[in-house]
Amino acid sequence: MFGRRTPANDLADEFWANVQPGEVLLRAQGITKRFPGGVVANDHIDFEIRAQEVHALLGENGAGKTTLMSILFGLLQPDEGEIYLRGHPVRFSSPQDAIRYGIGMVHQHRKLVPAHTVLENILLGHPKARGVLNVREAAEEVAAIAEMYGFNLDLYARVWQLTEGEKQAVEIVKALYRGAHILIMDEPTSALTPVETDRLLEAIERMTANNLGVVPFITHKMPIIFRISDRVTILRRGRVVATLPTRDTNERELAQLLVGREVLFDIQKPPATPGDVVVEVEHVTARNDKGGLALNDVSFSLRAGQVLGVAGVAGNGQHELAEVLAGLRPVEHGRIRFLGRDITTASVLERWQLGIGYTPAERTEVGSIGDFTLVENVTLNYFWDERYVQNGLLNEKKLRALTESIIETYQVVTPSPDVKAKTLSGGNLQKVIMGRVLSRQPKLVIANLPAQGLDIGATEFVQRRLLDARAAGAAVILISEDLDEILMLSDIIAPMYEGRIVQLIPAEQADKETIGAMIAGGRTRANA
Amino acid sequence: MLAFFLRSLEAAMIFTFAGVGELVDQRGGVLNVGVEGIMLFGATLGFIVTKTTGSYTLGFVVGVLVGALLGLLHAFFSVTLRVDQVVSGMGIWIFGFGITTYIGSAYTGPLGLERLPTIGGLSPFFFVAVALVGVVWFVLDKTSWGLAVRSVGEAPDVADVSGISVTRIRYACTIFGGALAGFAGALYALYYNPVWNYNFLMGWGFIALALVFFSMWNPILLLGGAILFGTLWQLSLNPELLLPGLFSRYIWRTVPFIVTILVLVLISTDWFRSRWGGARPQALGEPYVKE
Amino acid sequence: MTLTGYRIRVVRRATLPAWEAALFSLLALVVGLFLFGFVFIFADASPQQAYREIFRYAFFNPNGLRLSLSRFIFLTLCTYAFIVPLRAGEWNIGMTGQLYIGALTGYGVVYLFGGKTSPNVPLSPWVVLPLMIGASMLGGALWGGIAGWLKGRWDVNEIVVTMMLNFIAFWIVSHTIKDGGIFMNPGGRGEGFTLPTSLRAPLIGGVPFTILLVLGLAFGIDLLFRRTSLGYQIRAVGLGPKAARYAGVNVPRISLVVFLLGGAIAGLAAYHYFAAVPGVYKIARDYNTIGDLAFFGIICGLIAQGNALATLPVALLFGGLSIGGRFAQGKLHLGFGVDYALMGVLMIILVAFQFFYRYRLIVDRA
Repeated sequence: MFGRRTPANDLADEFWANVQPGEVLLRAQGITKRFPGGVVANDHIDFEIRAQEVHALLGENGAGKTTLMSILFGLLQPDEGEIYLRGHPVRFSSPQDAIRYGIGMVHQHRKLVPAHTVLENILLGHPKARGVLNVREAAEEVAAIAEMYGFNLDLYARVWQLTEGEKQAVEIVKALYRGAHILIMDEPTSALTPVETDRLLEAIERMTANNLGVVPFITHKMPIIFRISDRVTILRRGRVVATLPTRDTNERELAQLLVGREVLFDIQKPPATPGDVVVEVEHVTARNDKGGLALNDVSFSLRAGQVLGVAGVAGNGQHELAEVLAGLRPVEHGRIRFLGRDITTASVLERWQLGIGYTPAERTEVGSIGDFTLVENVTLNYFWDERYVQNGLLNEKKLRALTESIIETYQVVTPSPDVKAKTLSGGNLQKVIMGRVLSRQPKLVIANLPAQGLDIGATEFVQRRLLDARAAGAAVILISEDLDEILMLSDIIAPMYEGRIVQLIPAEQADKETIGAMIAGGRTRANA
Repeated sequence: MLAFFLRSLEAAMIFTFAGVGELVDQRGGVLNVGVEGIMLFGATLGFIVTKTTGSYTLGFVVGVLVGALLGLLHAFFSVTLRVDQVVSGMGIWIFGFGITTYIGSAYTGPLGLERLPTIGGLSPFFFVAVALVGVVWFVLDKTSWGLAVRSVGEAPDVADVSGISVTRIRYACTIFGGALAGFAGALYALYYNPVWNYNFLMGWGFIALALVFFSMWNPILLLGGAILFGTLWQLSLNPELLLPGLFSRYIWRTVPFIVTILVLVLISTDWFRSRWGGARPQALGEPYVKE
Repeated sequence: MTLTGYRIRVVRRATLPAWEAALFSLLALVVGLFLFGFVFIFADASPQQAYREIFRYAFFNPNGLRLSLSRFIFLTLCTYAFIVPLRAGEWNIGMTGQLYIGALTGYGVVYLFGGKTSPNVPLSPWVVLPLMIGASMLGGALWGGIAGWLKGRWDVNEIVVTMMLNFIAFWIVSHTIKDGGIFMNPGGRGEGFTLPTSLRAPLIGGVPFTILLVLGLAFGIDLLFRRTSLGYQIRAVGLGPKAARYAGVNVPRISLVVFLLGGAIAGLAAYHYFAAVPGVYKIARDYNTIGDLAFFGIICGLIAQGNALATLPVALLFGGLSIGGRFAQGKLHLGFGVDYALMGVLMIILVAFQFFYRYRLIVDRA
């Protein structure tokens, strides 16, 4: 019942009484974690968080961020090292322990139940929610917290109806309602619009004013570090490279510390040589899985040798656009033409055969089959191709040779083409998928989030292959949430907001601020 | 005619017990396609115990216990060992079918005891079944335990980081579901059809499973579905009440099974799914593996 | 978990070498047979003696061996009916129903040729036998195809549908062979009419010629999954349905195809059992007890891990156990249905062993 004080709450309340500004809330000392196979994910990491401080952790994929985060939240236990809370050594054997000690976590991939209401999500696992739920009392308490931090939440809305920013707010309120004094945030601004980002920054300010400590983990969105944090710690290959006051550093220095060498931020893109029109999309409308309008009257056309950069925050129709073009999602109204031919109702297979190649964002679930070998995965795009199938029989020798050539050209790190795809790392898997699709020399390439989650080296590699396809005369549709990537690779930019292309902008006239505003609020250039 | 309706409600009562158990199980994310096997065990062991000891109570207790035990087994396979839930459920079904055929055949024939008393012509357990539906609905919707069960079924990773033990909840749901299925089986063999025969359950467990899909995971709709199927079943046994002489009695027996398929098709159509399809627990059938 | 200084850990497998997988199947079989020994102990028989009796009759008695081989053919076909859809990730537990319908359509041909009138009608086997086999396979295929079509078109749960189809087929057979049904034996004993002697299947050393079809099928199915584009597509749907759709595989069509194939094979099993095995030659009154033995196909299929060639020895063993079990049942005074009990025990052990296919125990010093 509500109103009964439970031990879990007492612990947090007593433990966190009288926090002084600037006091060290959490100190991690010599944290080391080894994984089977000899990988040292965390190598003697020292790290501390003070009250009223935002201390950012910066590191590439594979630098050990996730491991450290999991250790701080009790999902993993360190092999060596200690964690001190206000000077007391503590051990977390589960997230429950960490939560009881006042550590809150805001996940990048939101840990919320989509089918449940906001309030149910916040109450889930709360020590006060025992037995018959007293919804009204809980709602009042939660609403008070939300208001205190400037969040406007509809407690009875279903989570799947919310925007990314609202979902994040639910996670924050949930952690605070459970009495968090240290808030760990994984990629806090990754899926937010600029407006939502501003709101988040304000909430963080209010938290620090309340003596909380905030730890954002960031991969490479460096500008946000300067807006958000007081100190920054850089991780590389499992070690702390440096801890610096944010005001004493700059983006270039951070990038260098992050990668360990000087980083050049752009790829040289040769000038465009547009050819014939490859694809024409005319007033296309389509629905998402929930039946809502995902694409609303989308039109564009693209020529050979051009890259169309579809920019936008996740969930604004880019994903559905890719699926509609690949034939995986039906078109409700409108028409799609490919090389002059109407393919609106053509099957997926017909589109592959005509020369449309799609690399999906879901690499393990859609783009590949984990239990298939690499040869079998390459076969996914060849099982119907007469050059590789005779009388219904697959030509294994040729398929193996093709796979080997893809492995070589794309520098896939693998012991053999006969290993299962699930043993590959994300970057290598993406290279196999890219290599397989591009080996068909498609006339239209649809690349959905091609570099997401890859390290800098693999990202650059993948981006170069897309430019190679463009140089070879393919039309490329690049879907990305990273505006820098869009600006760097595109010839035409299509910012999307709520299922519409706000405006088609030639790359040479585009700037980051305008595009950023368009994907956030649907403003067109005219009234920007 | 009244007797017909009372019998229909009693058939519905058995579908309800088995179905509610499976429903709770599925709300917690565990699919048990072996309900038929558990019911066969509950029915056969309950029948044998009651026949040899003459005690109905003992028969029901054994039915519930063996059901709970098989539920535990399914939980052990699918939660702890993370065996594919369909494989495990199929295993329990064939296990139940094989073993009960062997041990039951020596007891082929009627129970030969005085029938259990009734209230207004209905088994008292009918009222228990209705009450159970209400209680399960309330617990699932209005309490923290229900919230935990639903969360584990929708998104076990979320429940886990919120401090809920996925394993504990799934074990509890599966054992509860097994116990109810075992009880439903015992009720079938000790009250509804007290004559042991080769495979005498005739697919009731599979119909109960289909009822859960049909109910959109809502216990109240499940009760409605159970009454519909109870009536259909009685009708298939006594077709002369409705359309005498239309088909042979054998063809009438196919009707409940045909309707089950039709209902499954209906709820699988895009038209139905886009309106009411959101209720399916999202993690149904997925073993939870901590990252 | 730690035991006397050693640490036992459970680790997820990335891959499982084929020989290890085969080893686990074998181990499951051995453990299952060992545990099944308790059934004999409960029946006051010695397990060693029981197994000796079973194996001696099943494989070393000429009569028993012929029966075992017939049963082997039947179980192999039931297994194939199960594994073809299984490779596409779909559960065909409707072999039973497909079997019943296959028996009906097969005998339907005989009926159309006037074979019901008397067991002595002279009919040309060269004309009627192929038609019978074709009709049985077609009947089974159509019955299975219902489930496959529903699965492909609307994603209707195939487990429940195939089970319901089993019961529907069961009652349709009753309707046909009992109470004056069109296939009822004129003798009026509630069973199907007898196959004319002229249509009895040719025997090879006392074993129906269907054994040749089974061996051909074994290599055919093996080839299908190892080499062909269709087999590849089926496997892709089974292991990665979303990826298969993305790559242009027509997933609903594959669902239909695997159930048509599975059903057709079950129909062939029906022809074999009801029209080719010496001593049967009709749809018997207790057709349901043989129909339910088809579920052995699930166990064989899981032990053989969907491999058509590996199915052969497994089905031979089970065929022998099932025949020998029935024999021992009489000799050792066991209850009816020892073979069903065996099926149950093996199945549950097999499920437990599934764990080892995906996880590995590592023991090391803590």
